[in-house]
Amino acid sequence: MQLGSLRLQRLPSAHPGIAFAARAAAILIALLVAGVGVAISGMNPFELGGRVISASFGSSFGIEDLCVLVIPLILTGLAVAVGQQIGIWNIGAEGQFYAGAFAASAVGLFVPGPQWMVLILMFGAGFVGGMVWILVPTLARAYANVNELITTLLLNFVATLLVYYVSTGPWRDRSGMANSATPPLSAEVPSFWGIVHWGFPIAIGLAILVAAALAYSRWGYEVRLVGSNPSAARYVGIPVRKHLITVMLLSGGIAGLAGMLEIAGTVHRLQGGISNSFGYLGIMVAVLARGSPIGVIFSGALMAFILNSGIILQTQGLTTSVVLAITGFILFLTAIGDELSYYRVTRERA
Amino acid sequence: MKETENRFVPPAGAAPIIQLQGVAKYFPGVVANEDVDLEVMPGEIHALLGENGAGKSTLMNILTGIYQADAGEIIIDGYQRTFATPLQAIGAGIGMVHQHFKLVQAFTVAENIHLGWSDTPRRASAAVLEGRTAELAEKFNLQVRPGAVVSDLSTGEQQRVEILRVLARQARLLILDEPTAVLTPAEARELFLALREFVSGGNAVIFISHKLDEVMEISDRISILRGGRKIATKQTAECDPHMLANLMVGREIVLADMRTRAPGAAPVSREPVLVLDKVSVVDGGGGRLLDEVSLELRAGEILGIAGVAGNGQRELSQVLTGVRRASSGQVVVGGETLNGANAADFAALGIGHIPEDRLNSGLAPAMSITVNAVMREYARPPVSSGGGYNPRAAQLLAVDIARAADVAIPDFGMPVRNLSGGNQQRLVARREMRIADKVLVAAYPSRGLDVGAINTMLRYIVELRDAGAGVVLISEELEELLNLSDRIAVFYEGRIMGIVQNDNPDIEEIGLLMGGRKKKKAAA
Repeated sequence: MQLGSLRLQRLPSAHPGIAFAARAAAILIALLVAGVGVAISGMNPFELGGRVISASFGSSFGIEDLCVLVIPLILTGLAVAVGQQIGIWNIGAEGQFYAGAFAASAVGLFVPGPQWMVLILMFGAGFVGGMVWILVPTLARAYANVNELITTLLLNFVATLLVYYVSTGPWRDRSGMANSATPPLSAEVPSFWGIVHWGFPIAIGLAILVAAALAYSRWGYEVRLVGSNPSAARYVGIPVRKHLITVMLLSGGIAGLAGMLEIAGTVHRLQGGISNSFGYLGIMVAVLARGSPIGVIFSGALMAFILNSGIILQTQGLTTSVVLAITGFILFLTAIGDELSYYRVTRERA
Repeated sequence: MKETENRFVPPAGAAPIIQLQGVAKYFPGVVANEDVDLEVMPGEIHALLGENGAGKSTLMNILTGIYQADAGEIIIDGYQRTFATPLQAIGAGIGMVHQHFKLVQAFTVAENIHLGWSDTPRRASAAVLEGRTAELAEKFNLQVRPGAVVSDLSTGEQQRVEILRVLARQARLLILDEPTAVLTPAEARELFLALREFVSGGNAVIFISHKLDEVMEISDRISILRGGRKIATKQTAECDPHMLANLMVGREIVLADMRTRAPGAAPVSREPVLVLDKVSVVDGGGGRLLDEVSLELRAGEILGIAGVAGNGQRELSQVLTGVRRASSGQVVVGGETLNGANAADFAALGIGHIPEDRLNSGLAPAMSITVNAVMREYARPPVSSGGGYNPRAAQLLAVDIARAADVAIPDFGMPVRNLSGGNQQRLVARREMRIADKVLVAAYPSRGLDVGAINTMLRYIVELRDAGAGVVLISEELEELLNLSDRIAVFYEGRIMGIVQNDNPDIEEIGLLMGGRKKKKAAA
């Protein structure tokens, strides 16, 4: 038999099946490499893996933990993905998360009234807080074409430090031992299953709502067109600037809502470092989902599983940096897999 | 000031600075240059004249080492030379200043002058570079500010930096591509003085232009290219603009008259369907891209827009379709004055637009064929009702449009960039024709297409005219304009130089108008 020469051919679009297989392979290879690393350092990777699986899915507590963890990841991922629809990189979901948490805490701490009313006000404050935090980058981008990558990123540090300041300073809990957090908030998002609160269905519902609006509304059509080619949108007469502003504000609002749900549903008080980098992880979630709002639900779940595994592995003596390395490796391989799924190997008879 | 009212005589016994013999360059399916002989003598300014696509740029790219000739020889100082790279051409003393400057905007003048130059000292402070630049500027008598950042300079100053950059590398032959296109008249005069001084030292200039007056003013000899071949080289003193226009445009235009109406076609209306009244467009720097343009378009007629590209055609098509607002003047459609309207309003009134750059402004290349096909009708039923968008109805409409355009599409979800250029253009044309009840503005509809696709496009346009729409056809193909248009308006530097009835057209007159000259009898 004669061997033909192999040739690499780039296809104009990737076949969905192949793209999916490439992603699955990327995750498998990353786990394999991690397993080898763990084995070299003298631990049994299969035993560790088994422990992670059983701790995550073996009990309702494990699943509850995952569900709570997935809420902020879906929402910050959604915030970034919405921005991508119109060609914006919102690197500031972290800051908007803090701003939303801050604004909702202010309501929860200082506004008197019945629980339900305070809670509704907290929802509003969380969303508006996120919008306010992205307002200046939005206007700078829309009217002066200032790159939003830098402006949104820099405001993260401001928001993080602001929350540290109020939670250890003026809003500090003076009643008891916790002096690096505020007192408990007067209202909370109720739970419906163990520790899982209503933020879970809200996050998934919001992702579905955004996806539907993009696919089945005139607004969505216009936003997608602006994101894909602003000059074509201008040529058709679509108000590019108006859409840019609304979509960026929506993105900030969703990230703010993530912060609000985190303090009102999970932590119940405001403290520094409350975000656990959810804003930055949201960027990874959105990239893994290729900017698709529905995809964010799944990549958010994957990210939650990885983070949760990290927490479990720490109890087994592995450091967080190992877990971060595995996360990074998965993303890296996914990016390669995405690119490779555009190629096909063909054989030419020599 | 001009010393060359009489014949240009090269210094006695001087050899040509550069000599081309039988140079040819072929691209797939196109003869860009063939059998070109050219001789440039020391001390002369040699103009190169020709329409768009006549082969001027290709020839100069061969001379500067960007392309390699497929046949023929380049002879410098008696030796045959080949340039594999632009650096080798610069080494041989050939430098070019392109129409679009190749300067690093964020660098200073001195840094740009010294960039990629073997004479640049290895360890140089800003002060040293600026000192060297100041010396060079003085030596070549070109005023530049060595410490200024390029992005802060006017276009005229940037051009001086480009020229200085070339001269600093000991160029003996300076090639300038449409150098006055970006200059004010005062800056152009300064440039001419500098060029005269440069050639008086035994150097030479090749001056590419389509402006007849300035070619007459600055050059010693003129070579005319047409269709990739050199038609003639003349002493400027023996030329007049009429003769040059004739040579440039040529007479062997194939007329395939498409102006006769099919029986039952809509007649040309008496009332204009679209009127421009003293419309001007001013750019950020105060330059007039359109200068008090007034014209009337009637239903059922094709108005051709002739002119060398870059003389206001882009802005004209944008103003006619609402993509850009006029700085002053009025656009009136069907009796209604449209000030402050946007492109969507224009489209709703029945104005279609085949844009100049279809892939970048008429389509979203990465989006599906369906999304692209419904771009004009997504906001009305059946695709939209209320605020909703119905993907299924959108696809049905896309299928309709593709069928009318005669484009076979396997998958309407695939990105539109996967289609061939001809299919994209047909799709855009059909999409626009559906909404163009009143007017179609077609900018360079046949650009980049093969002969078959061009014929289809032109047939579409005639079809629309017969259906009673007014068509504005912008083209750089004079042949196309003569075959289709009822009238031809010639643009030059944002103005209408003249409007010619296309019943017994005077091609020479059109050529003169394109070069910025009015025919004498027209003035009388």
